Amino acid sequence: MPETAADPTAGPIASARDLVKIYGKGETAVRALDGISVDFGRGDLTAIMGPSGSGKSTLMHCMAGLDTPTSGTVVVDGDDVGRMKQSQLTRLRRTRLGFVFQAFNLIPTLTAEENITLPLDIARRPVDRDWFDTVVDAVGLRDRLDHRPSELSGGQQQRVACARALASRPAVVFADEPTGNLDSRSSGEVLGFLRRSVDELGQSVVMVTHDPTAASYAHRVLFLADGRLVAELADPTSESVLDALRDLGAGRAERDAPPVAVGRRVSR
Amino acid sequence: MTRVALRGIRSHLGRFLLSVLAVLLGVAFVAGTFSLRSMMSSTFSDIVESSLTGDAYLRGSEVAAGAAPMGPGAEVAGDRNRIPLSLVQDVADVDGVETVIPDLTGPAVLVGADGTAVAGGGGAPSFAIGLHPDEPAAIVVQGRAPSGPTEIALESASLRASGLALGDTTTVVVAGALVEVEVVGEVAFGAPVAGATIVFLDVATATTAYAPDGRVATIAVYASEGLDETEVVERLTAALPGGSSVEAATGAALRAETQEQIQSALGFVSTFLLVFAGISLFVGAFIISNTFQMLVRQRQREFAMLRAIGASPRQVFTSILVQAGVVGVLGSVLGVGAGVGLVAALRVVFAQMGMELSGRIPLDGYTVLVSVVTGTVVSLVAAAVPSRRAALTPPVEAMRDDVVVHDRASTLRAALGGVLVAGGLAAVGMAVADRVDERGTVLGLGAAAVVLGVLLLAPTVVPAALGVLAAPAVALLRPLGGLARGNVTRNPKRTASTAGALMIGMALVGAASVLAASTEASTRSIVDEEATADYLLQSATGQVPGGLAQEVADLPGVQRADALHFSVVLVGEDQVLALGVDPAIFGTSLEINVVDGSLDRLAQGELAVQKAEAESRGWVVGDTVDLRGSEGRRTATIGVVVDSRALGVPLILPDEVFTAVVAAPDAAIDSVFVVAAPGTDLETLREDLTAAARPYVVVSVMDAEQFADRIADQVNQILVILYALLGLSIVIAVLGIVNTLALSIAERTREIGLLRAVGLGRTQLASVVTIESVLTAVFGTVLGVVVGAGLASTLPTVFADEGLSVLVVPWTQLGVFLGLAVLVGGVAAVWPAIRAARMDVLEAVSYE
Ligand SMILES: Nc1ncnc2c1ncn2[C@@H]1O[C@H](COP(=O)(O)OP(=O)(O)OP(=O)(O)O)[C@@H](O)[C@H]1O
Ligand SMILES: [Mg+2]
Repeated sequence: MPETAADPTAGPIASARDLVKIYGKGETAVRALDGISVDFGRGDLTAIMGPSGSGKSTLMHCMAGLDTPTSGTVVVDGDDVGRMKQSQLTRLRRTRLGFVFQAFNLIPTLTAEENITLPLDIARRPVDRDWFDTVVDAVGLRDRLDHRPSELSGGQQQRVACARALASRPAVVFADEPTGNLDSRSSGEVLGFLRRSVDELGQSVVMVTHDPTAASYAHRVLFLADGRLVAELADPTSESVLDALRDLGAGRAERDAPPVAVGRRVSR
Repeated sequence: MTRVALRGIRSHLGRFLLSVLAVLLGVAFVAGTFSLRSMMSSTFSDIVESSLTGDAYLRGSEVAAGAAPMGPGAEVAGDRNRIPLSLVQDVADVDGVETVIPDLTGPAVLVGADGTAVAGGGGAPSFAIGLHPDEPAAIVVQGRAPSGPTEIALESASLRASGLALGDTTTVVVAGALVEVEVVGEVAFGAPVAGATIVFLDVATATTAYAPDGRVATIAVYASEGLDETEVVERLTAALPGGSSVEAATGAALRAETQEQIQSALGFVSTFLLVFAGISLFVGAFIISNTFQMLVRQRQREFAMLRAIGASPRQVFTSILVQAGVVGVLGSVLGVGAGVGLVAALRVVFAQMGMELSGRIPLDGYTVLVSVVTGTVVSLVAAAVPSRRAALTPPVEAMRDDVVVHDRASTLRAALGGVLVAGGLAAVGMAVADRVDERGTVLGLGAAAVVLGVLLLAPTVVPAALGVLAAPAVALLRPLGGLARGNVTRNPKRTASTAGALMIGMALVGAASVLAASTEASTRSIVDEEATADYLLQSATGQVPGGLAQEVADLPGVQRADALHFSVVLVGEDQVLALGVDPAIFGTSLEINVVDGSLDRLAQGELAVQKAEAESRGWVVGDTVDLRGSEGRRTATIGVVVDSRALGVPLILPDEVFTAVVAAPDAAIDSVFVVAAPGTDLETLREDLTAAARPYVVVSVMDAEQFADRIADQVNQILVILYALLGLSIVIAVLGIVNTLALSIAERTREIGLLRAVGLGRTQLASVVTIESVLTAVFGTVLGVVVGAGLASTLPTVFADEGLSVLVVPWTQLGVFLGLAVLVGGVAAVWPAIRAARMDVLEAVSYE
């Protein structure tokens, strides 16, 4: 079990203990998470990597209170998510969590700006204009604020989603492949922004990615396979991530047929 | 492909059930209307069949005119000369004739156990029949037949309704006179009599009452077994005295004639109901087409996939149409069932109101066929447009992740709508400005064009209109209002057709309320202007008993008591309503506008003609008019052309002329105008009048104000029925909103999941759905009420001559409709909102 190098003064922003998630029953049961214990550091950008189907999305969903684990506990910002009622979960999502999905992140009837401020509007909190400007400039969408999602490219839509996740200055942002659809330049912008939001503004971000370059922006990379945490890398670079993946892939290839595709980088 | 289509229905069962429901509702209304109509006409046919059982009838050979007082017998000969009773003896000896029964029927009032008049619902008639011992249609089931002037028997349903029992004494008003009588028998009289109150008198009493001049309308002849009806007629004809203005007709011929008369009288009701059925089907078509549009949209990707693997557009198109066909047939069949249920429920309601309709609910093949075909065809047509679009979508297009396609209102549709609205408004304007001949028709066509045009234009105005309507919600309920606004404006066409269904109903309701308010106000102003009498006597049965008119005239303190007699007379071949008045009534009890000539001429035996009638016939003062009636004929000169709304009858004859034309039994007293002698205390007079009228039960004494109230009440009664019918079309519209909301929520599943994921609470989500629903409902209502009330506001200008002189827009009532819309929207949102709130966040997010 890898030990977490958490900031001793603050403790982890989110943590899981013995997290198990089983889909289905009997013969067809799938152990999507198989006893994961992990701490996500406060003020850290953590990347999660692993082959398709290894349970990355499931972990994110459980951490964000979108899904209920079969067993184990999830604590976010000091509160036990498993004990929360629906209304408390709703409030948690509204104010203390940001979430970016793999796709379809935006409400089609709202403009980019309205989408970004949506969580604040829902929570009836005033929009902090300075922060809003910082976020918008960081994702480079200043001239697209009045556009509706259908008028934005996939990458632009994803950047709006990132901006939305950060707009309410949540305790922690969970992002599931936020740069999955972006070219390397805009993906660099988004990741740079995420990293800056951590370094300069003290945000905490957890993101899933298949891209070693993206992972290199993180403070720490966690590797998942078959629902288990199998490796960890601190202060990664693209090369060290690639090496780690190759090692894991080799170990996996003995049990599984095709080696894991490392990059699902989409360039236009 | 058919297999794919049917599989599609199975896997999207929930959505299909909603569209089946939409078809079901529309068809239920149509089937209900048809079967209600045939139930009503079969009820009346049954009455005819059971009351006209004779093999042959003698009747007047000259088509004259006379008011057709109530009673099935009297309807037969309403417009022929009366024939002498002595004919009974003349034909009794004809070979083969068994029984001869003269028709001794006339209006009567029965006082029930509670001291009030026994009255069936819906203005059902109340009449008395002389019970001939051999009358085959009537069977004494309890007690005995009446004998002598102080005994009566009652028809079974009337006995029940009256609360009287055999042996009780009560009062009846027969031929205008009050009689104390004892109930001695119960008589079964053929089929259900649709709420009619029937009193049986003995033949001698009935003869004195209804054939005082020794003449009757018809004489029924029953022949011996096995004799052909035509044969009977031939023998009778041979036996009739020459030159007697009498003819014989077969029973079959008479029954057929009567049926025809009833059918044409019911024609209005049928047309009325059919219009509603049409409206409901139109409304239903909106829902069906909406449903299919959404179903197709949701499954766009599935169709694209089929196209990608090689299905032709035609195949995709067909597969959707097959589904629409299944939905249409299923919905229609269920709808026919529901329609029958609706009629069964209505019948119970009618029975509660004292109007018993025939025992069986007729469901003929015609009704089933029309309903099923209409439902199916409407479904197919409604599905054709979205199917075509789905079939033509390029495979890649629909493979896109983001399935929300912005639906722009089509320019062609908007242009057509604009043209229709402009044309319609122009037509309405012409009618208002009196630039056309057929003002009513032009107005009607114009109004129809406006309504249709607005329906077509609605999608174009949706974004702007809803932007305005939603403004308060957007401002007050951030961000829920904005989200809701986005949802209702993202697909203008859908919102417009959902609201359109409600709009039609609300337009009619709005128009009806303006019409009602204006009618009431107009009546009041007419009464204020024209009726100068102190009191007015009218009867709930429409006829003031002659005995009372006499009594009132003799009361102390009464200066004048003018009885207004009315009847139908023949002018050439046309039946025209005529009033008989004492010429001195003008200037004392009534003030009316003289257009030309002088009212003094009435005293010289000349007649008065209403302006509208004179114009349409090209009559001027000095022309002569040939009048015929059940008493005789008379040629009279037109002495004056008047413009009176209080006397809304084309011809006004001096009593002298009236009695020469109309036989006494055919003249009914419509109302009695009472003017107090100078110095009489009006309150005392009212008490005296009320005391005199009390025994007659059905007569009320009114001053001008009360008279106006009473007319207003009558208008309101009609309005209640209208509202009830429109209510049904609004119910359909509400279900349409439910349907649209439910489907659009299913369509937005991922979006809803996302909203929940970023922190939208369940209550907030439910609020968004409710706001959407309310916005749609309010949009439809505002549009409908504005169009309906606006168009109806032109009626007083166009129909000023028909007595609709004052325009009143009932603002409060229209406001209530708007409030109702909010309520309707809220109610419609309940189920869809709950469904949306119950969605699992993660499942919704990853929903395909
Ligand atoms: N709703 C579900 N029902 C059943 N099994 C599921 C469900 N969701 C996920 N799984 C299974 O759980 C396992 C983990 O899925 P998960 O989505 O977490 O993978 P992932 O690591 O995010 O993959 P990818 O990189 O492709 O997004 C997979 O084997 C998947 O088939
Ligand atoms: Mg995933």
